[in-house]
Amino acid sequence: MYVFSRFASLLPRIALLAGSFISALSASAADLAGGDLKVHGFISQGLVHTTDNNFLGQSDDQISRDFREIGINASWRLVPDIQLSAELLSHRAGGTDDGSVRVDYGLVDWNAFSSENGRAGLRVGRLKTAYGLYNKTRDVTFTRPSIILPQSIYFERTRNLTVSADGAELYAERYGEAGSLTASFALGKPKTKTEAAKVALFLSSPPGELEPRLAPDLQLLYEGAGNRYRLAFTALQLDLSYRPGAADRLRAGRFRLTPLIFSGQYNAERWSLTGEYAIRRTSVSNFGPYFPDSHAVGQSYYLQASYQFAPQWEVLLRYDAFYADMRDRSGKAFAAATRQPAFSRFARDWTAGIRFDVTPEFMLRAEYHHVTGTGFLAAQDNPDVRALRRQWDMLMLLASFRF
Amino acid sequence: MDEHLAIKFVGFLVRAVALYALSLVLLSANGKAQSAEPSMVAIAFPATSEEAVARASLRAIFGMLLQKWPGDTPVKVFVLRDDAPDHATFSKTVLQVFPHQLRMAWDRQVFSGQGQYPEQVGSAQEMLARVATTPGAIGYVKASEVTQNVRVLKVR
Repeated sequence: MYVFSRFASLLPRIALLAGSFISALSASAADLAGGDLKVHGFISQGLVHTTDNNFLGQSDDQISRDFREIGINASWRLVPDIQLSAELLSHRAGGTDDGSVRVDYGLVDWNAFSSENGRAGLRVGRLKTAYGLYNKTRDVTFTRPSIILPQSIYFERTRNLTVSADGAELYAERYGEAGSLTASFALGKPKTKTEAAKVALFLSSPPGELEPRLAPDLQLLYEGAGNRYRLAFTALQLDLSYRPGAADRLRAGRFRLTPLIFSGQYNAERWSLTGEYAIRRTSVSNFGPYFPDSHAVGQSYYLQASYQFAPQWEVLLRYDAFYADMRDRSGKAFAAATRQPAFSRFARDWTAGIRFDVTPEFMLRAEYHHVTGTGFLAAQDNPDVRALRRQWDMLMLLASFRF
Repeated sequence: MDEHLAIKFVGFLVRAVALYALSLVLLSANGKAQSAEPSMVAIAFPATSEEAVARASLRAIFGMLLQKWPGDTPVKVFVLRDDAPDHATFSKTVLQVFPHQLRMAWDRQVFSGQGQYPEQVGSAQEMLARVATTPGAIGYVKASEVTQNVRVLKVR
């Protein structure tokens, strides 16, 4: 297992090297490869203003510009069965991400079996984590239904745990008259050796390190009637061990997070209805008295309707709810035990948004959120718990360009 | 204080527009594809081994999932621009997929490293020329525009 994980952690680097080599050759390689080298990218800049609390930077009664996504990717189909792809991403998100450039994915996709009824294969390297309907392209605003994804399921705060993982994924697809069925199973290590990952889990930054075990990730996806219906089930298990640092008050404890997600979408020609329901089992054990053991089952869901009322215009309405602990939805038991605000254990977000595609490559968006609770806010942006407010509103604007 | 009022006003406006849109959604019936459009056909490189393709396979090919013909020749997919009427008609009547959904499926693959976009051509003439001269090529034109140099693929 150890050898495999060492191997798995090397592969993204290899894939990246191959990727940069290809990009360096760019124009000539494009000709050599018969035009099968493709380069694409995107850049998005958001503005965030909140009436209280900070989200994606210092937004409380000010305008935060600390929400920016820049990505560039290259893919090269060597032969019909093998594709190399890599993406570099800079993701700036308030106090949780400084925008430093990272390899978002870097992989070799080997389509080992293919017939007119289906295909199957293996992807190896740094892979985007299959997690609900939107996670694999979560940072590409053109593929999102709104400026921010529903935070109850796609937390900005804990994105490191689910954004991508180093490992391998088996996939199989079946194309039938009744629809297509896709199954994927991945084993990978998420990126947890970052401040953001630690703060997201501990709400502080202890000196030790989080060591991930290989996380299994299963997704089944059914797409019927030419993608009119899309139904998915995702099961992921994250298991992180803590290695205490020097003079650490915490002991060698363990986090286990097991989210299960049920997703459904109906797409008509001009409107869509989407809903996802997640149940998240979390357990914290053996950290000692300064970070007591706990076992909770969290619950998240949203229902979203979007409607294209003119060729380049779309509106969206969504209700999104997050509860850190199903048995303590109001957070009162938590508040009594910790003296932290009860409302930090849930968030209910009504969102209304509008999208204008100026051209296929250039998009403008505006979005209004009315939120009760602070459950998805990041501690980095809100260091003073006493300054948090239960009810808050947020206005977001975003411009995005892609090629 | 003024700023708060402005935000609340914008919020109210956005919500009003969204509610109006939602009510339209709920009132309007599910839009069915009209059949008054010209009939479109899938075309392939003349030496392609296949004469007929299952609709599900054709969807997988234009969805950029299936990369090979049964004889192991790589598939090369040509499409018109998303807003070209013939693209919309082909998507809706032959593939039976809304063009917007096809675009979303391509985007999901390209930006996760799992696939590539099809090659876009500017006109039916260019489509015919490229499909006629590219081994493994597949595309579409109006039935009335088919020439001797391409093979029409029947949908099973």
